[in-house]
Amino acid sequence: MEKSGSMDSLGSKRSSSRQASVDSLSSTSTSRSDRSAQTKPPSAMSSDSVSTSAELSPELKVGRLLCCQQIPNECKEEPQLLPGETVVDVAKEVMYICPFRGPLRGTVNVTNYRLFFRCMDQEPVFVLDLPLGVVSRVEKIGGASSRGDVSYGLVCKDMRNLRFAHKQSEDALKKSIFEVLMKYAFPVSNGLPIFAFEYGQVFPENGWKVYDAIAEYKRQGIPNESWRVTKANDHYELCDTYPSSLAVPVNIPDEDIRRVAAFRAKGRIPVLSWIHPESQATVTRCSQPMVGVNGKRSKEDEKYLQAIMDANAQSHKLFIFDARPSVNAAANKMKGGGYESEDAYQNAELVFLDIHNIHVMRESLRKLKEVVYPNIEEPHWLSNLESTHWLEHIKLIMAGALRIADKVESGKTSVVVHCSDGWDRTAQLTSLSMLMLDGFYRTTRGFQVLLEKEWLSFGHRFQLRIGHGDKNHTDADRSPVFVQFIDCVWQMTRQFPAAFEFNENFLVTMLDHLYSGLFGTFLCNSEQQRVKEELPKRSMSLWSFINSQLEDFSNPLYVNYSNHVLFPVVSLRHLELWVGYYVRWNPRMRPQEPVHQRYKELLARRAELQRRVEELQREVTNRSASSSSERAGSPTRSITPVQTFV
Amino acid sequence: MFTVRPLKPTFKSYLPPLQTDVKKSLHPPVKKLEATLLPGEIVVNEVNFVRKCIGAEKSHDDLWGKLICTNFKVSFVTHEALAQPRFQVSNRLLGEHDIPLACVDQVVTVNDAKGKKKVLGSNQKLKFNPSELILYCKDFRIVRFSFDEAGPEGAKKVCLAIAHYSRPADPQLLFGFELIGTRYLGSSEDGLNGARPAGGSQTPLFACSSDWDREIKRTGAAEWRVCSVNQGYGVSPSLPEFFVVPASLADQDLRQYAEAFSGQRLPVWCWNHPNGSALTRMAAITDPLQQKRLDQRICNAIIKSHPQRGDVHKADLDKNLPSIQQVNNSLVRLRHICVIDPFEETEEKWLSSVENSQWLDYVRTFLKHSCDVVYILEGLNASVILQEEEGRDLSCVVSSLVQIMVDPHFRSLSGFQSLVQKEWVMAGHRFLDRCNHLKKSDKEESPLFLLFLDCVWQLMNQYPSAFEFTETYLALLSDSMWVPVFSTFLFNGPKHHADTMHDFLEDKKITLGEGEELCLPPVWDWSQQLSITDQALFNNPIYVGKAAPYAHNGAVKSFRRTKHKTWSSTLRGAPPSQTGWSSTLRGTPPALARNGLQGSQGTLPRRNSLAAQLKSDLFPVRDVPESPSERFARDWFSGPADPQGLLLPQLLPSHLALWRLYFLRWVPEAVIPRGGPVTAVHAVSQLAHEIETLQSQLRRYKGPTPGSTPRASPAGGPPGTPHAEPSRMFFKAGSLYEPSPPPEFLSSSFPFTPVGNLCRPNLRGTPISKLLNGAKTWLSTETLAGETA
Repeated sequence: MEKSGSMDSLGSKRSSSRQASVDSLSSTSTSRSDRSAQTKPPSAMSSDSVSTSAELSPELKVGRLLCCQQIPNECKEEPQLLPGETVVDVAKEVMYICPFRGPLRGTVNVTNYRLFFRCMDQEPVFVLDLPLGVVSRVEKIGGASSRGDVSYGLVCKDMRNLRFAHKQSEDALKKSIFEVLMKYAFPVSNGLPIFAFEYGQVFPENGWKVYDAIAEYKRQGIPNESWRVTKANDHYELCDTYPSSLAVPVNIPDEDIRRVAAFRAKGRIPVLSWIHPESQATVTRCSQPMVGVNGKRSKEDEKYLQAIMDANAQSHKLFIFDARPSVNAAANKMKGGGYESEDAYQNAELVFLDIHNIHVMRESLRKLKEVVYPNIEEPHWLSNLESTHWLEHIKLIMAGALRIADKVESGKTSVVVHCSDGWDRTAQLTSLSMLMLDGFYRTTRGFQVLLEKEWLSFGHRFQLRIGHGDKNHTDADRSPVFVQFIDCVWQMTRQFPAAFEFNENFLVTMLDHLYSGLFGTFLCNSEQQRVKEELPKRSMSLWSFINSQLEDFSNPLYVNYSNHVLFPVVSLRHLELWVGYYVRWNPRMRPQEPVHQRYKELLARRAELQRRVEELQREVTNRSASSSSERAGSPTRSITPVQTFV
Repeated sequence: MFTVRPLKPTFKSYLPPLQTDVKKSLHPPVKKLEATLLPGEIVVNEVNFVRKCIGAEKSHDDLWGKLICTNFKVSFVTHEALAQPRFQVSNRLLGEHDIPLACVDQVVTVNDAKGKKKVLGSNQKLKFNPSELILYCKDFRIVRFSFDEAGPEGAKKVCLAIAHYSRPADPQLLFGFELIGTRYLGSSEDGLNGARPAGGSQTPLFACSSDWDREIKRTGAAEWRVCSVNQGYGVSPSLPEFFVVPASLADQDLRQYAEAFSGQRLPVWCWNHPNGSALTRMAAITDPLQQKRLDQRICNAIIKSHPQRGDVHKADLDKNLPSIQQVNNSLVRLRHICVIDPFEETEEKWLSSVENSQWLDYVRTFLKHSCDVVYILEGLNASVILQEEEGRDLSCVVSSLVQIMVDPHFRSLSGFQSLVQKEWVMAGHRFLDRCNHLKKSDKEESPLFLLFLDCVWQLMNQYPSAFEFTETYLALLSDSMWVPVFSTFLFNGPKHHADTMHDFLEDKKITLGEGEELCLPPVWDWSQQLSITDQALFNNPIYVGKAAPYAHNGAVKSFRRTKHKTWSSTLRGAPPSQTGWSSTLRGTPPALARNGLQGSQGTLPRRNSLAAQLKSDLFPVRDVPESPSERFARDWFSGPADPQGLLLPQLLPSHLALWRLYFLRWVPEAVIPRGGPVTAVHAVSQLAHEIETLQSQLRRYKGPTPGSTPRASPAGGPPGTPHAEPSRMFFKAGSLYEPSPPPEFLSSSFPFTPVGNLCRPNLRGTPISKLLNGAKTWLSTETLAGETA
């Protein structure tokens, strides 16, 4: 009944809570990510903040665990600090030039984790709460003007740009707060630790235990008569970007595997990602073969691929999916790489999937940001969107994954997937096709396993692609490969709204913490580095946070599709821009009225009815002897907040 | 009811089937094939051994049968079943492969051998024997028949008959009249006697004054009255016999004023806001000499009818909204990219093609304009006059959208139907011309009603629990426009309806008995078309409804969000420059708070030199000040939406979507097997059904409540079987508390199916096959540079 109580208050206190909610939007417009960033476990909530938030709408109440809204901060100018967080500088009279509301004057706090801006002379209070990890670059705009104002721009990784200005300090030696910020925003460049190592929060769940490679292999039935788990990479000596345990064909001895490693870029040999429970068709991943201009061959590599094919009795063919456009694959020969020639690999068919490289994707997202932030150009929205090619890239990636899933499911054929190094496009393709093929990965835990496995353990270079704490914002290694993957997942949840156990909030939260630097999950480039850095010991896992409050991330519509394979339609007719992520800073954007909320109400109603039916059932049994002229009415009925016609 | 063969939910089904013998059935069935005819329906022409093309290229799945043209439909009857299972909601008036003639947009005959092609009109000659017939339908279907085994003469005759009969010369020739005539004369035993008033439908038709009275009471419009000056259509030929006017205007005045208005369409009342502001509509004043005087009088009368004497704002719709021709051209373009152009070719430029069609633009413009009207009514507490040259087209869209946004009553099924009746049918929207049922003038054709339904869909898409009905309902309603049996969509207004009916009775020499009435039924009695089970498809499982009318419950509070009465005076005249509002018509503005807005807000950006001087490309600052109505919308958006309160659509272009169910339902490549929004509906429906079941169990336990029928006395028996009360849910829960996965027949097109309904003439391969051959992509130099760098 708690839920309905809050619904009631939503209805009746509408006018009174209005001010607060106005506030919440204006600040959520700038701080939705911060919501999740300001993690507060229930134990750490101060009692007064709880009582304040009780007046808020259920939506905000859901956020209670996730965030402290600006309401608890009403009387304070500082943010509520996280365990391990310290304020490093405070500046008053700073102007935040909001692209939507114009300039706002307020106070800035910089901590080792965040920038906290609060505008006092606004009613309702305006708060901007930004984890520093989101900042990609800080730049001083223009010189000091005649009026002595200096202006700073913060370009963020999460699709927004922020701009501040303040008076030039009289004391020439005193650093601007933004100079200070620059130091803490880029801790790696400044010899400081990333905040994740200082974050002292304790969660009831331990997310580092979510994934166990051996257990996951076991779930898939590995080892079996055709596949074994090798210890050849136990100390990362075979390949330093691969995990320690690898599944390889049974009849290839470790010495041969070493020779195969010599022939594959960065030693990334073909290893098993997924095996079909019935047909035994497999998805394997690797890097490009080092063919070079002279068309070098490797007997061991050929034999190895043959062994992968032989492991599947259902098909006498093997499909090699090269994620790259064929031109790019050919161009790689100049650098010693290339692709499998069909002469050398009998029974193998090579297909190029035409997915572009990290540089093209980075450029595409940059264009997308121009189109959606701060304002959307109304007359040419769709053609502007088209010109970013973002959805077209999404389409190609999904189409590639679809073809892989189709080959495995419908063709019962094993596939080998690679791009150049096998850690960007390959990770996108294998994980997406596995998401289509295996319902386990569509559960919340299963999805975490998928990420831990295909992305983290197989060495997607998160540190380089995101540039955690690194000031070098022009680094050509940065690219939104992971964002793109999550976007593809979101597209699938749109097409199959009941097939995923998690909701949109889960995906957005994941992307927010991809940058926030609060958790250790996305730090480092490989398993080897993570082990060396002792991340599980020194930092928290994002999954600890998420799994401690699964309610907030679950999709109530979820019905288990059992073993059904999902085949999304990869057409621009169905792909759409993820407005809930890319356009969320726009205050005119309100998250869609969630069906989920309504569904939860229905669930509560069902539980209530169930309870009453059972109650009456008991009553009837008890009274069966006595005469029953009057039956118990049900006073609770009127409390039910939502009168429905159902 | 879903006896469909299991479909493997892979896209294999789209792959071209194996090349088997094309003429697999050289011996078409010899059993007699007969069309199922309705009362009054006659066969005009028919031809046997026709192949209905199912796949685009391969004839593997094609069906053999007989093609029949009747005076109602193009019917294809066959003994064969589709190789691919399909789920299609079945219409009681139409067979599986039938197309009503009114739905046929274009009849195209092709002779493959000669490479000839001709679009057939009425009474035309065909100089070649057609080998193929392609019917382009108004509901976006494209159906193709092949005559390679049929008699050439017979085929030709059927084609000509279809072309001829799909263009009736007179509204009386529309099949509905034949149907009711035959039913009346033949007193058929199906109980559907034409003389029967539209029973079963609770929808007020607004043809009598009592419906208007009730609406006046419901909205609390005290100072308005139903007037009957137009009884017998003596004053205006396009207004209904009864309409509502300010109480202060006498019948005498109205008669006198009417002459000055285009079509004698006096200003009429549509609806009252709970704050007393009225929504009215009127035609242009044709007499320039009277313009000023009349404007003044009308406005004074409307102001007098406002409890707080609120202002009157006039919205010039012709100036601010696209013309009906523009809307029509837009749909033509959209249809092209959706169903006519090859899938893969449109794919590359899909977004810009959709943009170029301008359909979403127009949807947005209408929604935006309606929002502005809502702002005047709600935010400014002022009345609004929608003015349009004739007052029968654009104003129908705007006035109904405004009412849907503000009044939750119109978001219930019966409320919505009454709204269409009130603002479209009775307001004299020219359905006959706009649907172009007689195919007389393409210039008059315009899909305004579809545009309106699309706007409603956008609201529904943004506020899924605010509407009692589903998008399936909207699609089926729109399809009903092309079944020429319902009075709703066949006439150019109530008078036209009455006149046509009168002529019809005379021509048929029917004399009605005392108290007897012969009329075409409105579409609202859905049992005419759908079974009770299928009508459950209309019910939105997540609808948050309220039993009491909005004026008497708590929802009123949400209307009164803005208490700044002062706004009305200060903002008057502010919008005109941007939105084209003509200035207020009231003489002297009240001298209240000039700066009411600025003062009350305080949140408007304070522009100081700092803000002005800081400009950079990277950090653009919005310079255009918000218009008051934008601000009103933004304020509203900052709070949680109440599904039973005011609803404003999000108008960012990124928030408007293509209505996929309607526009893409026939496109096989766009179907998501076991996916699409309907799978969410499926999940919620099961839960809603469980709740229904529990509720009925509860009722049984509680036993007969005082005053109710004593038949249900479950004291002894187990309450397992609730007494028969049809479930409102189409999808039922199988076992309690364990939601089942979506069944095989569910897809993003449900309850429609593309199978056999879309044969593009020049489809080259399916998208998947195209994909398998390697998709075309652009290559930039940067790509290569990046890869080799």
